[in-house]
Amino acid sequence: MLKSNWSRFWPGMLVAALLALVFSVAPMGYGNTSLLFMMMTFIVLAQGLNLLYGFTGYLPFGYVGFFGTGAYAAALMVMKLHAPVWAAVLAGPLASMAIALVLGPLLRLSGAYFSIANLAASQILFFVISNPHMTGITGGPYGVKLDRIFAPTASYAAMIVLVVLTTLIAAYFRYSRFGQGLRAMADDPVSAEMSAIPVVRMRLMAWLTSAAVAGLAGAIYAWNLSVFYPDAVFSLQISIFAIVFALFGGVGTVLGPIIGAGLLYALYNAIGISAPQYFQLIYGVLIVGLVMFLPEGILSLLTRRGINVF
Amino acid sequence: MTFKGSRLTAASAAFALAAAIGTTGASAQTAPSVIKIGTLYAGSGEFAVSSQAQYDGLKFWAKKVNKDGGVFVKAYNKKIPVKIVAYDDQSSTSTATTLYNQLITQDHVDLLVADFGSVLTSVAVPLAKEHNQLLVDVTGSSAGFFSNDNKYLVDLSIPSSGVWPIPLAKHLIKQGVKKVAIVYGSNDFDSSQADTLKSELKKAGITPVYDHAVPTNETNYTVLLHAAAATKPQAMVELGYMSNDVAFLKSLKSSGLHFPMVFTIFPGQFKALMEKNAGKDALAYTYSYPAPPMIKYEQVSLGLNTDQFIKAWEADGHKSAPNFVNTAGYSTGILLAKALSTAPDMKQLTIRSTLEGFSGNTSTLVGPFALSQTGAQMGERLPVAQFQPQKDGSLKTVVVYPDAMATGKAIYPAPQG
Amino acid sequence: MTALLEYAIVGGLLYGIFFGLVAVGLNLIFGVMRIINLAHGEFVVLGGFGAYWLTSAFGLNPLWGVPLAALGAVVIGFPLYYAIVPRLQRSRDPEMLSFILFFGLAQVIEALVTLGFGPDQRTLPSDALGSGSPSVFGQAFPESWWWAAGISVVAIVGLWLYLTRTRLGFATRAIMANRDEALATGISVDRVSSIAFIIGLALAGAAGVFVPYLQGSVAPGIGNDLTTTSFAILIIGSLGNPIGTLLGGLVFGVGSMLMQTFYASWSNLVPYVLLVAIVLIRPQGLFGKSVRHA
Repeated sequence: MLKSNWSRFWPGMLVAALLALVFSVAPMGYGNTSLLFMMMTFIVLAQGLNLLYGFTGYLPFGYVGFFGTGAYAAALMVMKLHAPVWAAVLAGPLASMAIALVLGPLLRLSGAYFSIANLAASQILFFVISNPHMTGITGGPYGVKLDRIFAPTASYAAMIVLVVLTTLIAAYFRYSRFGQGLRAMADDPVSAEMSAIPVVRMRLMAWLTSAAVAGLAGAIYAWNLSVFYPDAVFSLQISIFAIVFALFGGVGTVLGPIIGAGLLYALYNAIGISAPQYFQLIYGVLIVGLVMFLPEGILSLLTRRGINVF
Repeated sequence: MTFKGSRLTAASAAFALAAAIGTTGASAQTAPSVIKIGTLYAGSGEFAVSSQAQYDGLKFWAKKVNKDGGVFVKAYNKKIPVKIVAYDDQSSTSTATTLYNQLITQDHVDLLVADFGSVLTSVAVPLAKEHNQLLVDVTGSSAGFFSNDNKYLVDLSIPSSGVWPIPLAKHLIKQGVKKVAIVYGSNDFDSSQADTLKSELKKAGITPVYDHAVPTNETNYTVLLHAAAATKPQAMVELGYMSNDVAFLKSLKSSGLHFPMVFTIFPGQFKALMEKNAGKDALAYTYSYPAPPMIKYEQVSLGLNTDQFIKAWEADGHKSAPNFVNTAGYSTGILLAKALSTAPDMKQLTIRSTLEGFSGNTSTLVGPFALSQTGAQMGERLPVAQFQPQKDGSLKTVVVYPDAMATGKAIYPAPQG
Repeated sequence: MTALLEYAIVGGLLYGIFFGLVAVGLNLIFGVMRIINLAHGEFVVLGGFGAYWLTSAFGLNPLWGVPLAALGAVVIGFPLYYAIVPRLQRSRDPEMLSFILFFGLAQVIEALVTLGFGPDQRTLPSDALGSGSPSVFGQAFPESWWWAAGISVVAIVGLWLYLTRTRLGFATRAIMANRDEALATGISVDRVSSIAFIIGLALAGAAGVFVPYLQGSVAPGIGNDLTTTSFAILIIGSLGNPIGTLLGGLVFGVGSMLMQTFYASWSNLVPYVLLVAIVLIRPQGLFGKSVRHA
């Protein structure tokens, strides 16, 4: 039993170790650590979204809501409770899981209804946190300032840990009985229920895990950024990027979101740096082209040739 | 469910490719052949108009100095041409973060100039400090950025938005206005002004009869104006971004409502654009903070004065007259040039302390230059002006407060119709 | 107080009817093709810039923007449909894949509008749609608001008649109900869908003509907000039924205006709170069929 577990999980560990290595070494050759940090953030978010969408079929348009919640939970722990950094960072996933629990009933909806209701929920969080009447509690439109804990290297390292953690969780989802059950549910919820899979509970587990990943990412992001306005952590662009990256790479796999986020985010920056005057246009055309010619994600180049992708 | 190494190799190769593409940005050494000035602008999104105006002002300056062979750099004791390295952040803070870092760590710019406004400046503040790079702040005037333990920040053009409404409050009090309605956007720039305005009015015993924050992207003011009008205010103050002001003035015009006094922020900075986009009739008799070049500075110790600037700007082939943010971008350029020609070396902190040395004894076309200890701008104060229609159909900007700068008397209450 | 209340309600009704038009094209495209048109707001913006172009370059009345929007929808919509939709339908999850594709398209449109017109706000002449303020129940609103609401009602009722009274409309509803069955019964799905796609874009563009009047101005960057609001209205009403979208718009309009009158800073919460409340209490929308599962 132990041995078979090992053979199932070593690919995940290998990928995680490789990612840790790449992002630990990269800053020595390439000084734009903000870019590397953002790339890791999007890898985590694309993977976290994959945990939900790739394994249950629920696509959360408002995924950024968990990210922003995590960022603000961490910020408030620092500003209001003068908590140490580790406690502030841990508050992120706790807060986002609490929000996910409150939003749990949304899982009764299907397809686009779920997606859009989730989008609405993230907008509500954003508007409440940034409202001028909330200035005394959240800082409202004035944003937050955490220069007391500003630590670019430590927060960068923390994000590496989160990339590793998220990759391992994805590997677990992919190869455990839990993950297989989830996918059976996504394919056919009725017969899954009949075969005694606890559909509602398992779906909720995936939802909470996905929310926790985004919350933790948000908390570390807040730590790294240290001065920000509410729209920096609630911008819909973050949701949309995470979705585009995950789908582009290929969902339901472990490697897909990693490759999707790594490649597309690098391209995004390469265009921004080399052709700033046509930045938006070129990126838009690129995305349309990719969907038209690689609709199943980049990993479909392999699966189409019969190669089983991890 | 087996796994083969070759697939992983393929995948990791793809990933390495991704990382490699990310590193294609230029990475030249600091060379005396050119002085690199890095900045960002928003090609799209909510800050695009103002951001591009600032960028245009800076470019105008660079073009002008390069025509004369560049700026004189004392550290090298010679004239060196200026090169602006600029990227498009699309009004997104996360994109701005990576691009600021690109300017600092890959392009190794000699001077880093922030993008327009507090939101896009905010992410550069800790980044610049971390890399010991002086951040030249042009229009990011949030008071929260400045502190004594950060020497790597200096605001060259705009005073903190929190102090803007002080002359306005004084004018209202002097005019004998007792009933004030305030509508403001839910963002740092507008909320801080509303807070100052309210506290200044409170000192004179005035509490607003109507006081509402609206969402930053609010564009429908018809019903709101009606609710405000029900409180019968003598002055209606709307503090927003440009899109809010356009929508507000348009709604007010078409609603048929009338207030004795109406104030908005952006007509004073972008008069030509606002006349075109909101209409002259909507602006008639309203008030604003007139900003340079609308208020003219004839005596300047540095660079062109207002009239010279307007002429040079038009000669440069710009289709429209210069606006305030253009002048802010330009004045940033000339202050930096002056700093380069004075600073004994190119160290970032030397440049900052050189700039500090100009404080109180320098003036440009945006007004007197004065820095606080923390690097915040204290010099320039914006007066209050009214747009008074002339016989030929044009709108004249008449400064009505403070008295020392006044060019005419306020027409109050504003005539109806 | 009652005067304010009445004013907010009448204003909300007019504003809401107009937003019914803004959202109804999205409803049609989503209902028929199961495509999430994330570029919907950008098509509305295109309509607004079309009207701006007509007034500024030719001095025409902005109402000519409505036929221009219809023309533009044919010219853009027809090739666009055949270039992307059949391809999308063959993929594994067209609904979600369309999300990225139309995100890319939205970026392209926004970039092109910015390159063509510049990033700033454009408005239309205030008196082009009449300068009076006709009043109902003593509540005066600008004439442009009545034009917008009137044309919205005509367009939405027209769409409803098309769907319920014409053969193409029957076929369209059959595809909405079940695409595969419609295909099996010999309906030319692509032809009917492409017409629905064009109608959807035309309605979006027509709504855009009035955006400068009801939203103060039109600018390349406002598309995203329009798209999210439209999605909210669509779900508050119900899928497939244009009259449902009209009612969804009304609920949104009146709710927003009441909130703006009494608690202005919270008014942007209205569509989203309504949406979440409605999907949880009555997930089929106010007027629709069930969407829950498991």
